[in-house]
Amino acid sequence: MDPGLRRDDGLMGDHDLIGRNRLKTAALNGGALAQWRKWAPLAVLLALCILISLFNGNFLTIGNFIRLLNSAAIPLVLCMGATFIILMGSIDLSVEGIVALTAVMVSLLVTNDISPYAIGLFAVPLAVIAGGVMGLLNGLLHVKLKTPSFMTTLGVGFAGVGIAMAVLGGDTVRISDQTFRFLSLGRPLGIPMAVWIAIASVAIAFIIQERTRLGRWLYAIGTDEMTARHAGIPIERTRILIFTVAGLFYGLGGVLSAAQFGQGHALISQGRLFTTITAVVVGGTALSGGVGSVLNSVIGVMIVVVLANGLVLMGVEPYVQQGVQGLLIIAAVALALDRSRLEVVK
Amino acid sequence: MTAGKPFSPAVKSSVNRRALLKGAAGAAAVAAVARSFPMPAIAQETTWTLANSMRSVANPYHATFAKGGEDFAKTVGAKFETLVTDGNSEKGISDIKALLQRTGGKLILNVDPNDSPDARVIVEEVKKAGGFVVTQWNKPDDLHPWDFDPNYVAHMSFDGVPTAEAIANALFAAFGGEGGIVALGGILSNVPAIERKLGLDNAIAKTNGKVKLLDFQPADWNEQKAFDITQAWITRFGDEVKGVFAANDGMGMGALEALRQNGLAGKVPVVGIDGIDAAVKAIEAGEFAGTVAWDPLWTGGMGLAIPYAHVTGKIDITKEPKEHREFYGTGIIVTKDTVADYKNNPPKTDFGDLWGKATGQIQYRS
Repeated sequence: MDPGLRRDDGLMGDHDLIGRNRLKTAALNGGALAQWRKWAPLAVLLALCILISLFNGNFLTIGNFIRLLNSAAIPLVLCMGATFIILMGSIDLSVEGIVALTAVMVSLLVTNDISPYAIGLFAVPLAVIAGGVMGLLNGLLHVKLKTPSFMTTLGVGFAGVGIAMAVLGGDTVRISDQTFRFLSLGRPLGIPMAVWIAIASVAIAFIIQERTRLGRWLYAIGTDEMTARHAGIPIERTRILIFTVAGLFYGLGGVLSAAQFGQGHALISQGRLFTTITAVVVGGTALSGGVGSVLNSVIGVMIVVVLANGLVLMGVEPYVQQGVQGLLIIAAVALALDRSRLEVVK
Repeated sequence: MTAGKPFSPAVKSSVNRRALLKGAAGAAAVAAVARSFPMPAIAQETTWTLANSMRSVANPYHATFAKGGEDFAKTVGAKFETLVTDGNSEKGISDIKALLQRTGGKLILNVDPNDSPDARVIVEEVKKAGGFVVTQWNKPDDLHPWDFDPNYVAHMSFDGVPTAEAIANALFAAFGGEGGIVALGGILSNVPAIERKLGLDNAIAKTNGKVKLLDFQPADWNEQKAFDITQAWITRFGDEVKGVFAANDGMGMGALEALRQNGLAGKVPVVGIDGIDAAVKAIEAGEFAGTVAWDPLWTGGMGLAIPYAHVTGKIDITKEPKEHREFYGTGIIVTKDTVADYKNNPPKTDFGDLWGKATGQIQYRS
């Protein structure tokens, strides 16, 4: 079968929630199953919410809902970047490095106890741009040196943490700029500022995905790079640009991390990479590229955050929690992934 | 050193040691004279190389540990080197082997092994070369200094049980001694995590039911995890939570920020362990009820001072009791009442007082 023929819908972009290849899937699996799979991540999320609220009524309170969103805010911003990369069929392991570097940078630029700079909120765009530069570096190394994104992003990530460590020498910067901390502690309309920023990030990512050529192209590349090349899509430029955009989102994530903890240090992003990739995949975006959406990742982040919150609310033994978490993640991915097109599972 | 050159570290070093012992008496006299002048104490040159080995200098604890070693080396005018493992046991061990080669075994090593099993390899290498070693924190339970006389001089650690118990009591006192608390633990399999949990349990048991542990969750020493878990606790227990116990300051800071997001910072006290700057500042701000400060300047210097006293003939380590060979140091409890004093008078180290801050022989609980 000619893959070009089979997957050419990547160029046309029928990719609402999951099934971008609905016709094909329907022919293979029957329409009902394909329809179900499209909504599987959302169903998993709802099932989780119902299950947890049966154990603990406090789960469904407004207070907890706001806390959940608050925990989800930074992963959401990071996932917006990571989703694009994964949709393109690449991987980005530099999340923690870029977040650490930008968090340290922004905390040194606002009023703090180590450096004399106090440029207030002007530090925010600078840090976001710094993230973008790191992302650009990812893209350039990956495309120009023709090295796998796995290795280049790993390297750039290490460099990011390394620079953050070298700058601070193991110290922690304490932020005393209350205007800056408003980015996390502020509560416009009763909802944390970080959540508003995350919502704005999702909106921007969704517009990039749906309304720009860049968004169309990254699906085409992720689905079948050869076909995309034949169709005249500027593969290299798109790849570099997408890595840069992802870097901008990580930079924003770094800013929010610093605002959340009121400090910056080289290990501030520890554990972020794993959560980010997990959330993207649990949401139903395929690691093989071409399938998924930033909206899937929103659901994915909520599944991961609700699960962590719920296991504590239900009083599950800490020893059992990690096992349960692992099993549920596998279950979510198994339900959500459309395997009908996969000839080989790697 | 070329590979073909015949070389016997054991013989060479024993000769050197004898010569050094003779020289030491004279040197001590010189040092005594030097001490009567108001000059920085750069005493006699020693032929021994002093070295501290640790994970990295990028964290405040190990950076201070290295400085302690350097401070001591200055007082005796010895060459000092810093070795870092970067969390890699192989690198740690091979760097030590290289330094033993280079110094012809005339090495006094103060090492915080990357992992417990490394300690055995390091001790064996040092003994073979005729150097002297003190280990910190990590070693297998069945590896004892007295089994490698005299080269394995001592092992130093801090006892997590009484320190955690003391800081837990400081937490209870901060909310009036009655009510529910939640606790964040470290990685479940880490010895300090186990000890600190045990200390907390002891403190709770001694309140006769007045303090109740509502929930215990391991946050793996991770600030972010601590933040998310504390948020969930606020939902689950609401104002039943009177205090938060964190097995280290990093997790305590995460919990504090979660409380702040919910308008509870300063209302629900938090305690941690390690004595990082942020925690000390949080104590001053009335948001932390306390922390335990280790004394890495002391461990960093004393791990060299004790073997140095042995090679210079001041003591004979093989004749010292076991509580001078495997011992705990003293953690400093910092609370609202003592924080000003702690900041104004940071712990001082007297390198002449070898076991002044030791608090008993190491216990094996498993």
